[in-house]
Amino acid sequence: METYVQLLLNSLQIGAVYVLFSLGLTLIFGVMRIVNFAHGEYFSLAALLIAVAVPWFVGLGAPLGVAFVVACVAALGAVLGLGKLMYDFGFRRFQRDMIGSFVLSIGFALLLQGVFIEVFTPASRKLPTLVSGNVHILGAGITLQRLVLCGVALLVAGAVYWSIVSTRLGTALRAVAEDHEAAMLQGIAYQRIAMIGFLIGTALAAVAGALLAPVAVISPTIGSAYLIKGFIAVVIGGLGSIPGAIVGSLLIAVIESVGGYYFDPSIATIAMFVIVMVVLLVRPAGIAGHA
Amino acid sequence: MKHIGKTLVACAGLLALTVGAASAQETIKLGISAPMSGAAAIWGLGMQWLAQEAAKSVNESGGVKVGGKSYRFEIVAYDNKYNAAEGTKVAQTLLNRDGIRYIIGSVGTAPVMALQSLSERKGALLFTTAWGASIKGPKFPLTFTEINTPAEVIPPLYGYVKQQHPDIKTVAILNPNDATGKETEVVSRRIWESLGVKVVASDWYERGTTEFQPIAAKMAGLKPDAIDLGTAPPGDSGVIFKEIKVLGWNGVKVVPAGTSAESMIKIGGDSVDGVYMGLSADFDGPQATEVQRRLNKGLRAAVGEPINIVQIGGYDAVMALKAGMEAANSLEPTAIAAVLPTIMFEVSYGKTTFGGKDTYGSPQHMLLPAIVSQVKSGKLIELQRAVPAELTRRLAGK
Repeated sequence: METYVQLLLNSLQIGAVYVLFSLGLTLIFGVMRIVNFAHGEYFSLAALLIAVAVPWFVGLGAPLGVAFVVACVAALGAVLGLGKLMYDFGFRRFQRDMIGSFVLSIGFALLLQGVFIEVFTPASRKLPTLVSGNVHILGAGITLQRLVLCGVALLVAGAVYWSIVSTRLGTALRAVAEDHEAAMLQGIAYQRIAMIGFLIGTALAAVAGALLAPVAVISPTIGSAYLIKGFIAVVIGGLGSIPGAIVGSLLIAVIESVGGYYFDPSIATIAMFVIVMVVLLVRPAGIAGHA
Repeated sequence: MKHIGKTLVACAGLLALTVGAASAQETIKLGISAPMSGAAAIWGLGMQWLAQEAAKSVNESGGVKVGGKSYRFEIVAYDNKYNAAEGTKVAQTLLNRDGIRYIIGSVGTAPVMALQSLSERKGALLFTTAWGASIKGPKFPLTFTEINTPAEVIPPLYGYVKQQHPDIKTVAILNPNDATGKETEVVSRRIWESLGVKVVASDWYERGTTEFQPIAAKMAGLKPDAIDLGTAPPGDSGVIFKEIKVLGWNGVKVVPAGTSAESMIKIGGDSVDGVYMGLSADFDGPQATEVQRRLNKGLRAAVGEPINIVQIGGYDAVMALKAGMEAANSLEPTAIAAVLPTIMFEVSYGKTTFGGKDTYGSPQHMLLPAIVSQVKSGKLIELQRAVPAELTRRLAGK
């Protein structure tokens, strides 16, 4: 029993960040029909800025918790600024152009990784513990910090899901994702909605990076690992599908957790790729995607 | 006024002569292929800085003197990202594009194997910190190791640990899933078993992994007496021990290839207390040499961390190469390779030479002290620095 609870807890804490990351990726694909391979860089930038800013604010005398919150807000602003620049000068011109946007986003990813290594140095960084202590649930252990961050990640994911399902903006986003020409005929300002969708996706990657920053070792290439996992999640769930991204993320978190426990992490990684291949063969549009 | 004019003319003349002499020296480029980004970045960054210090020291003392000419050293370093694919790219860049004939530092068995396949064919000299035994031997006459490897590190380390904790009966091993990890695991398993310790699990993870909870849950669940993190880099080791501590496991912790205690402590906090390390030395401590203390201070100021054993290989290789070139009185890599095992030279640890013929089939291994250290209350303590028997014999002229 204790083992199963531990595996469930592990899956939830890993999956919570994957969900946020892949929601952003799938949202951008949904509204713009592009796969943004630079998505991981928003994640990296947020985590790196927080890793630099928190010790700096603490050095100025701010309490650790306040320093973290202020750093998160600043990082979110910076990432949104970068996202807007990339949208205006790049992605806006390559909407619904899979090949063009693929080349562009790979170029952005390589450029940003180089800039991050130059600016932040390649050395790994670690934030001090924000919330100390461990909790035990039915014999399974988790740090209080991870539990809090996991809870916040699930809350944010829930809020995004609710907004997309229940608000006017969410309806517009879904309409554009479904059929952008029909949406425009209904009076929806496609360009504006595409930009908002892109920025929401960007912000979600930044929030994921911010939530992971206190519990991970941060380096300029941290986003690449999450991009691969996020991409696997949205391919399994169905590119452009919000419920699909959530299901896909939780599924790969379970594979990572259970596979890593009963076999080893390398076999778990292989299993993820095998599942992607099976899904693409059996249901190319993904679990919840539309053909 | 006239005197001032004469003095100025004399100074200008002297300056012109000095500059002329300096520019008359030819420059020899020395390459490095090492990780400069990711969890192992500190290895490459430190190695580059230390190699540059060695080159500076050689250049300031008049350069390398071969055939009546004096040469300067210049370091060229590239990021191999600790993987074979990038290692191949770096090999092409160093050997084909830049035309470099001396690689004085290369880190990571997988990228080094990629580099070695080209360096041996191109007739370039390769000094490496790669751990794998498969890169050494008579098949690779131009390859030299500048660091202790599993055969030199693991037996004394595990022996010491078992002596301190005779009640250890089981161990769980974890290694990165690459050539470095694979080769180390074989030696680790053999030595643990020879000490009467049962290997209850031996697992692999991919470099670049960010979530270690699943493997931590597995290792803690097995309840081994000891956990051995093999060739996991310091950052990964810190995270893994932290995750394992949350799950309540508190046994004997060993990191044979643990090179940077400071990085591990920074990330793992008190969860890494008690970790035994096989490749971590206290270069500020009483057993360190004067050169090592000076370099340690400099590296701390430059990159914010003390020296680790992988990095210092870059310094030692530059010194070995200088000695080899001068002894061979040639810049030809094959001539230098032939003379290296026959001479004694000064590196950061003191006087040494190349040996290891009994283990590897050819004398290509720099004979260095085997160091056993432990993290105690957030600090690294050097427990043992043993000079290899072969070096003791060679120093005694036998």
